[in-house]
Amino acid sequence: MLRLLATIKKEWLLLLRDRTGLSLLFAMPVVLITVMALIEDAPFRDYQELRFDVLTVDNDHGRLGKYIREGLEYTGQFNIIDTLDGKPVQEAQALDKVNAGDYKICIIIPQGATGAIVSNANRIVNDLSKRMGVPAVLPVSLRKDSLNVLVYFDPASKKAFKSAIHQAIDNFLTQVETDLLLERIKQQLKNKDIAQQDSMVIQLKAVGLKEQLTGPSQQLDVISNSVQHNVPAWSIFAMFFIAIPIGGHMIREREEGSLVRVRLIPGSFLDILGGKMLFFMAVTVVQFYLMMMVGIYLLPLLGLPKLMMGNSHLATFIIAVSIGLTATAYGILVGTVFKTPNQALNFGAISIVILSAIGGIWIPLEVMPAKMQLIGHLSPLSWGLDAINDIYLRNRGVQHIWLHVGKLIGCAVLMLCIAAGVEQRRIS
Amino acid sequence: MTSILVQDLHKTYKGALEPSLKGLSFNFEKGMITGLLGPNGAGKTTTISIICGLVSADSGLVKIFDLPQIAANREEIKKLVGIVPQQIALFPQLTAIENLEYFGNLYGLKGKPLRTRIDEYLQLFGLEQNGNKAVHRYSGGMKRRANIIASILHQPQLLILDEPTAGVDVQSRSMILQFLRDFNAQGASIVYTSHLLDEAQTICQEVAIIDEGKLIVQGTPANLIAQHAECHHLEDVFLHYTGHAVRD
Repeated sequence: MLRLLATIKKEWLLLLRDRTGLSLLFAMPVVLITVMALIEDAPFRDYQELRFDVLTVDNDHGRLGKYIREGLEYTGQFNIIDTLDGKPVQEAQALDKVNAGDYKICIIIPQGATGAIVSNANRIVNDLSKRMGVPAVLPVSLRKDSLNVLVYFDPASKKAFKSAIHQAIDNFLTQVETDLLLERIKQQLKNKDIAQQDSMVIQLKAVGLKEQLTGPSQQLDVISNSVQHNVPAWSIFAMFFIAIPIGGHMIREREEGSLVRVRLIPGSFLDILGGKMLFFMAVTVVQFYLMMMVGIYLLPLLGLPKLMMGNSHLATFIIAVSIGLTATAYGILVGTVFKTPNQALNFGAISIVILSAIGGIWIPLEVMPAKMQLIGHLSPLSWGLDAINDIYLRNRGVQHIWLHVGKLIGCAVLMLCIAAGVEQRRIS
Repeated sequence: MTSILVQDLHKTYKGALEPSLKGLSFNFEKGMITGLLGPNGAGKTTTISIICGLVSADSGLVKIFDLPQIAANREEIKKLVGIVPQQIALFPQLTAIENLEYFGNLYGLKGKPLRTRIDEYLQLFGLEQNGNKAVHRYSGGMKRRANIIASILHQPQLLILDEPTAGVDVQSRSMILQFLRDFNAQGASIVYTSHLLDEAQTICQEVAIIDEGKLIVQGTPANLIAQHAECHHLEDVFLHYTGHAVRD
């Protein structure tokens, strides 16, 4: 125990003397997290959260145009722009603006669109009435060709965005047609002078859609926003960067001869290694909680959402320690395998960037191609992030993170075994 | 009784074209200051590494105070032996006291006894005024002296020094050599390697000259010099046996 405590004290003193290294360990991750959360805030917002200006050219001036305008505005996602410089938007002008990227969408409602819908509804009602033996009285247009509401997108628009807009407008069209049809049916029934006609209510939507909680979560509003992704993700990234100072320390100790001196002293080397690992694990855990504090207190001051940490603080602590252990073991492996601090620095930094990129730190694994997702799940950084997402977003507890914890500890043990093998080979 | 017994030691490093040791044999008497001398590449460092258990020999026998250097005895031997490496094997960012406390703790020493011992040695080596100064701020001589203290905190019975006076000023060298004499007078055995043969001639009661992994000659400096009429100093004897060709 004395040897272990002495090693922890020695590492603490060495870290205190290295002011630059100390600030890099704690200040840089804070800056990194703040910058990344701010940069990735907009891309992380769902399209539902953003408002778009929609150029609208209403050549119909009827019920359909009104429905579409009101419907789009009601969603809260769109600002309807139907005048530019005080004049109604012209079709050619609208197309130019959208093509230039000044506006994302333009909707052209053709002349006679409402008439066409009314005529179609009348035709259906007349047909039904005829089959029921009631005289057909509603006027029907003789025009046979179908009309289309035209939608133009900025050529740089993403497929998912286009798809969402298509679906929304299609819903409005269906709604208008259904409303008109029901209205005409009611009108026809009224003509038949049925007694209970006035109390008749036709409800088409018998089954609705309602969002419910899947688990015990009390945090329905916690979604994977920029803060919820970036703070844990870049915290894990920063924790793994502890591998570089650890690797550098180990190589310097080997080069300077202090490692040889330690080896010449009776007693198990595991005490020394354990002290070193415990110290650096503690540093990573402090880093982790410091960065969580940034998510909770600093980022909201910058206009970002507050980080929600779920309800299981024990689970959070366990996963933070597990990530710290794996990061420390990685540092020991790097410090054992490489011969110079420069080699350790270059390999350590690049390998962590690669592991983080494939592990879903930069962008969530779910948006990566299927093959990359498979590869990404091999990265220890993704195990840590998955566990934190389970705790923070799915509100899970200790019992749900053991698989991730097991994988992280297993990986740490494997890396330490490899390091021991390399060291043994070097000695022999 | 011998402090170190080496018999028919062989060692070839993996990937090396030539063996480092080719049947090296010698024995050093307990309680003596003995010089292990040889040109570059003679096998001194390999021999010391095998003696202290850092490197395994391919074959042969090493005994420290009659204890065979095998895995079962390694911890016991570590308690008996102190090694002063040629490198300054200290943490440069820590003070001398912090370094010595750390290494003392690793030896199982702690509290007041450790602090007393550190203070005594700092005083003995003239570092009492600089104990709280970071080692990287020390002069070369101060570093060498602190390096020796870290190796004797556990008061070993056998002290092996690899060029302990390399690159130090005359005063520091004198202090170090005086310490070795005093330490030896207290009963410790000392094995000392150096390229400074005048120094070795002065301090060593016996020397062993090795070259190309084998023992060339062993004896007291006076006897070795007397055996060759043309030799007046230990350096002459050394050159007589190892030649004038420059070694890499």
